[in-house]
Amino acid sequence: MGLQIGYFPGCSLHSSAKEYNDSIKASFGDLGVELREVPDWNCCGATAAHSLNEALALALPARNLAIAEREGLPLFAPCSACYHRFLLANRKLRESEELLLEVNELISPLDYKGGTEVKNILELLVEDVGLKKVKERVTHPLKGLRLVSYYGCLLSRVPHGRAADDTENPVYMDMVVEALGAEAVPWPSKMDCCGASLNITEEAIVCRLSSHILDNAQAVQAQAVVTSCTLCQMNLDLMQSGTKPAYNHPANLPVFYISELLAMAMGHSFPAAHWKKHFINPRELLEKMGLIQS
Amino acid sequence: MKQSERIQVSDGSVIDPGFTQQVLQLTGEEVMSCFQCLKCTNGCPLAPEMDVPPNKAIRYVQLGMRDAALAADSIWICATCYTCSVRCPNDIDIAHVMDTLRRLAYQSQGDATPKAHIVHFHELFLDSLKQYGRVNETKLLARYELKEGRFLKDAKLGMKMFFMGKMSIFPQKVENKEQIKLIFDRASKRKG
Repeated sequence: MGLQIGYFPGCSLHSSAKEYNDSIKASFGDLGVELREVPDWNCCGATAAHSLNEALALALPARNLAIAEREGLPLFAPCSACYHRFLLANRKLRESEELLLEVNELISPLDYKGGTEVKNILELLVEDVGLKKVKERVTHPLKGLRLVSYYGCLLSRVPHGRAADDTENPVYMDMVVEALGAEAVPWPSKMDCCGASLNITEEAIVCRLSSHILDNAQAVQAQAVVTSCTLCQMNLDLMQSGTKPAYNHPANLPVFYISELLAMAMGHSFPAAHWKKHFINPRELLEKMGLIQS
Repeated sequence: MKQSERIQVSDGSVIDPGFTQQVLQLTGEEVMSCFQCLKCTNGCPLAPEMDVPPNKAIRYVQLGMRDAALAADSIWICATCYTCSVRCPNDIDIAHVMDTLRRLAYQSQGDATPKAHIVHFHELFLDSLKQYGRVNETKLLARYELKEGRFLKDAKLGMKMFFMGKMSIFPQKVENKEQIKLIFDRASKRKG
C-alpha cells in the first residue's frame, strides 16, 4: 500500500541533473512512494516563458497539470524552479474560472479542472512520507557529517500566500538532514539567491551571489552543502570548479542533492560514475567520514 | 492598446496615466498602496547591479512613467527570487510586476535594450521548447554562444560537462510535438 505520485522530472533531471533523477529513483521506492512519470510531460516554460509570454507561462504548466489530473495523481516536481512555476500557475487557474477557460482553449483537447495538487520534494518527505518512516528506513546514518541546508528562493517564497514551510526561515530540509543522522548546521545563507539562470547571461552577478553563499558555508565549518534545486546545485558546484578563471572559489565543498543523502543513508551505494557528475567530487569526503568504502 | 494622453512635466519626464492603469489591470496587484518603505530594495540580492531598484520601478508605475520603467536594465536583471514579494507589507507581488514590465518592454521594443543578450537567451529557450516540447541544454547553450559571438568561449566547460555525463547530444522530446506547437501558435495569437 504505497503512495502513488505523478513524477515530473523536468528537463534538467534528464541532462545536467541526472544524478538528482537517479537518486530519487534509488530512494523513493523504499519509502513506499511509487513514482509514475507524468505521461509525455513537457517543459514548464521556466524563466523564459514568464519573462516573454504570460499565456505560455500558464499553458505549458497547465498541460502537465491536466495530464496528471487525468491520471488521478498529485504532481511531484523535484526541481524548485519547476515546482514554483506549477504552484503559481495552479493557483492562478484555480482562482479565476475565466482564466481557466482561456488556458483550456490553449491546451485543448486537454481540459484542466483545477484538481491537481503540486508537491516539492521536502513536502513529500516531511508531510506525506513522514520523518518517522524516513528514520525507520535509515540503515547507514550519516554520522558526523556537518551540512548546511541550502533552500534557495523558490521552495518557500510563495507570494500572496503561505508556503508549507516558513518563508524566511524554512526548516523542512534541516529536519530531513537530522533524520538521516547528519548535523544541520545553522547558517545565514539558507535563503540567499544564487543568481539562477543568470549564470549564462550575467556571469559576474552569479559569481558574486554564489561566492557569498559559499563564504558563509565555509564560515560555519560545514563539510558540504545540501540542496533540492538544480540551478542552486549547478551554480554552487560550478563556482568551485576551476573550469574558468571566474569559477575559482576555494571552498572545495561538495554540493549534494537531498535525495543523494537520503539514498545513501538508506543503504544505497552509488557507482563512481555517479559522483563524477559533481564538479567537487564528494567521494573524498565520504571516504574520510567512513560513509563509503574506498 | 490605445495610447492615452501623455504629459510632459517640468523635469522632462513623460507621464502617461494609461500606463498605470494598464499595469494595474494586467497584474491585479495593489500597486497604488506602495508607500516606499524600501523593504523590497533593501532585501533585493540584485539591487547592487540595478539602475532602477524595485521600489523605484513601482514608483514609476504609480506615476505613469512608462518610458523610464520599460527602459530600465533592472527588469531584465531581476532574477525573480520573490524576496521582495514575500516581504512587502502591502502584499504587492513585486516580482510579478517586474515580470509584467519585462513583457510590456518585450512587446513594445523587442530586444532594443542594453540587455539584449538576456532577451535572446529567453527567445532561444522558447525556440527549443517549441521544437521539442522540452529544453535541450547542449543545443540551447551552443546556439546562444553562437548568437552572441562568443562561441567556444565556454568550450572547456562544455567538454568537461559532456565527459561528466551532464550533457546529452541527443535531444529529449515529447511525443506529441503537434500539441506543443499548437499551444505556441494559439498563445502567439493572444497578446502577452
